[in-house]
Amino acid sequence: MKKHLVVGLSLLSVVVGTPPVSPAGPKNDGRPDGGTLGYGEYGRPSTLDPITSNEMVSLRITELVFNGLVGIDAKQEIVPELAERWEASKDGRGYTFYLRKDVVWHARDGEEARPFTADDVVFTYKIMMHPKTTTPLKVRYEFIESVEKLTDHAVQFTLKRPILNALAKFSFKVIPKHGPANPIYLTREDPFVRQPIGTGPFVVKTITSDREVVLVANENYFKGRPHINRFISKPFADQNIMTQALMFNAIDMVVLVNPRDLPELQGDKRFVLQPYNALSYAFFGYNLRNSLLADKRVRQALAYAVNRQEVLDSFFNGQGTLVSGPFAPGSWAYNLDVRPLAFDPQKATALLRQAGFAPGPDGTLQKDGKKLALSLKVPIEKESEAVKRVVLAFQNYLKNIGVAIKVEFKEWQAWKESVFLEHDFDIIFASWVFDDSADISSLFHSAEIGAWKNNFGAYSNPEVDGLIVESKLTLDHEKRRTINRKLHAILAEEAPYTFLWTLTNYSGYHKKVRRVAIHPYKFFSFADEWFIPVADQK
Amino acid sequence: MKRYTQIEDASRPASDVSPWKSAGTLDLACVGYGLIVVAAVLVSYVLGVFEWLPYDPEHISFGLLNAPPGSAGHLLGTDFLGRDILSRLIVATQAYFLPGLVAIAISLVAGTVLGALAGYRGGGVEVLVTYFNNLVDSFPRLVLILLVIAVFRVDIYYIMIIVGVTGVPVVASLVAGKIAFLRQKHFIEAAHVLGLPAHVIVLKHILWHHCAPLLVIRATIGMGEVILIETSLSYLGFGVQEPTPSWGNMVQAGANYFFQGKFWPSTAPALAILFTILGFHLLGDGLNGILEDRSGK
Repeated sequence: MKKHLVVGLSLLSVVVGTPPVSPAGPKNDGRPDGGTLGYGEYGRPSTLDPITSNEMVSLRITELVFNGLVGIDAKQEIVPELAERWEASKDGRGYTFYLRKDVVWHARDGEEARPFTADDVVFTYKIMMHPKTTTPLKVRYEFIESVEKLTDHAVQFTLKRPILNALAKFSFKVIPKHGPANPIYLTREDPFVRQPIGTGPFVVKTITSDREVVLVANENYFKGRPHINRFISKPFADQNIMTQALMFNAIDMVVLVNPRDLPELQGDKRFVLQPYNALSYAFFGYNLRNSLLADKRVRQALAYAVNRQEVLDSFFNGQGTLVSGPFAPGSWAYNLDVRPLAFDPQKATALLRQAGFAPGPDGTLQKDGKKLALSLKVPIEKESEAVKRVVLAFQNYLKNIGVAIKVEFKEWQAWKESVFLEHDFDIIFASWVFDDSADISSLFHSAEIGAWKNNFGAYSNPEVDGLIVESKLTLDHEKRRTINRKLHAILAEEAPYTFLWTLTNYSGYHKKVRRVAIHPYKFFSFADEWFIPVADQK
Repeated sequence: MKRYTQIEDASRPASDVSPWKSAGTLDLACVGYGLIVVAAVLVSYVLGVFEWLPYDPEHISFGLLNAPPGSAGHLLGTDFLGRDILSRLIVATQAYFLPGLVAIAISLVAGTVLGALAGYRGGGVEVLVTYFNNLVDSFPRLVLILLVIAVFRVDIYYIMIIVGVTGVPVVASLVAGKIAFLRQKHFIEAAHVLGLPAHVIVLKHILWHHCAPLLVIRATIGMGEVILIETSLSYLGFGVQEPTPSWGNMVQAGANYFFQGKFWPSTAPALAILFTILGFHLLGDGLNGILEDRSGK
């Protein structure tokens, strides 16, 4: 289930250690408290709550402010958070969570901090599923039939049917019942989305006039007060200066270093570069409503014509891996037996010949007098420079086999409308970031074709539909793996996308920040354990 | 015919010494520099049209990204996709040349017609033209261009039509002012007395003999403006679209690498813009000094 569409690159990899559970108050682990960490972000978040937000910038902040019933640690294992333990019923449809009793919500100015109870969990689920709530999460939780408060500190979920890995889905962030101004449904107009309160290690203090989000340590955090006093999210409109800002000490951390700045930071002893791998990949997606692209051979030819390894090596210093199918590499669902398509322009030309195309007078291929000319719509956004390189290289590769590509750069909102609403495009360049990489139903199931749905290219294949449903219904992990491997092979062959690569991302930070562990997707999950030695606190 | 000739003689500037002979050294230097720039632009345009270039301007070399000047035969280095900067600089003149001429033609033709009507007829026509000028002038040019881009699409010709239209008021008021001034002169009165038709007086005696320098000067300055506007728009991403080069989008793309010490991809087109705009302006200025100041005396 992918929630976050990003342009260009996204998140990923290795994290060490699980935060130990300890009582509220100082952590008493011998590490000093204090200091401020300012981190550079790609633009400013439109909302700060976990329900209405749909962008990586907000996701990183909500990770600091909120908790889920359960957490997922570095090894992808389920660990207790707001729930201290849980029970699953024998039929696999009932889940009972026993909640911690020592958790309190952040206090609003002039108010007492209120305790966290089962009512908040029920409230969060209800508001999330309300039809008028603005959220990308609804489709994820449709498997839940009902939720019931058993006691103040116990809550029971009943599922419509048993599903595999159900527990992981209960990592959704819980919001307080007394939080939103409108208790029925949540929209982006609610004041809560800009001034949220949660249970997490940091409290949203203020948003400055420069649109910096200032977060301060939660003295009452149930895992113990975080070591660092303040986190400040600093938005950068121009990503080119973010690395410079780090080097001139204007910020202490960059969440995602621009690949071309890596050598510069590598050579500087003051900074640490830490790789992390997200479940994500970049792709060219095709609109199958266009009769030219409805022919599989044409889509395959476009994939063969592009030397993806060359692009990856030249523009991203080789910091990534080519992907061959619809699942994120690193996911258990990914089929390593399917190899990424080789660069083979002759084969591309042969396929296009088979499909009935012949060179026209201007060198562009044509069929029945119709030119093989396609529009490539690209949003102008954060990673615009890397994106620009990739799309221009793509255009150039296709020109070599006689396919004319017209690149159109569009503003982000306008781009989303033309792709997801009007379906007015031939090709797009984008990335999916997954948090549950095994579920690709919203991308390729034919029921997901329509306005604002993720199957933007109108890919429809009964066999794929069947496999997707089967994969969702099965309770046998091995069987599910087999189905997903088959799906991978079919979609690689059918080429509704030209699958490109997943990038190794690097966070860069000042070496004064210690014990930094980064969650592959959520980034700040372990930030309460980070610390800054007293001498460097200034 | 004889009488006409006499009138024409009278309509010429008083001195029979060519204005070029009595021109100041500074004005001549400006015009000389400007002409060199114009020649360079013309040569570049021709080279681009016939594709007499050192390299294919759209050829991507993955092994030579942002290569410094002089490497592997690239005189000015390569850009962020390994494309030859010199070839792109040369081809980029095409981005302005025809669109720029369209813009200039629109503002000169429409401006002259309106100016002549207002200046010669006066009265109600003049009021109407003044209203039109104020109307066009009250829209900020860039906003108008962005509006048109939003409604239609990013296309340099659409942009240049707007540049042309918004340039009309300047030309119209210059021409109107000039005509209003000349109308009082004896040679025009003489032409009236002799019964010459109005269009002959306006076209031949006023525009041809007295406004031509003015229009040439406006054209040169207009060309400079065209380049400047395309540059500003490219910086916002709305100018000439990649992979077609323009100096504006070359500066924009190169600027991403400037702080990494790779200054040449943006510096070369930036200098081209600087010297070319300077050239057109100095040419306009020099011509103004030589032709206009004198004839106005």
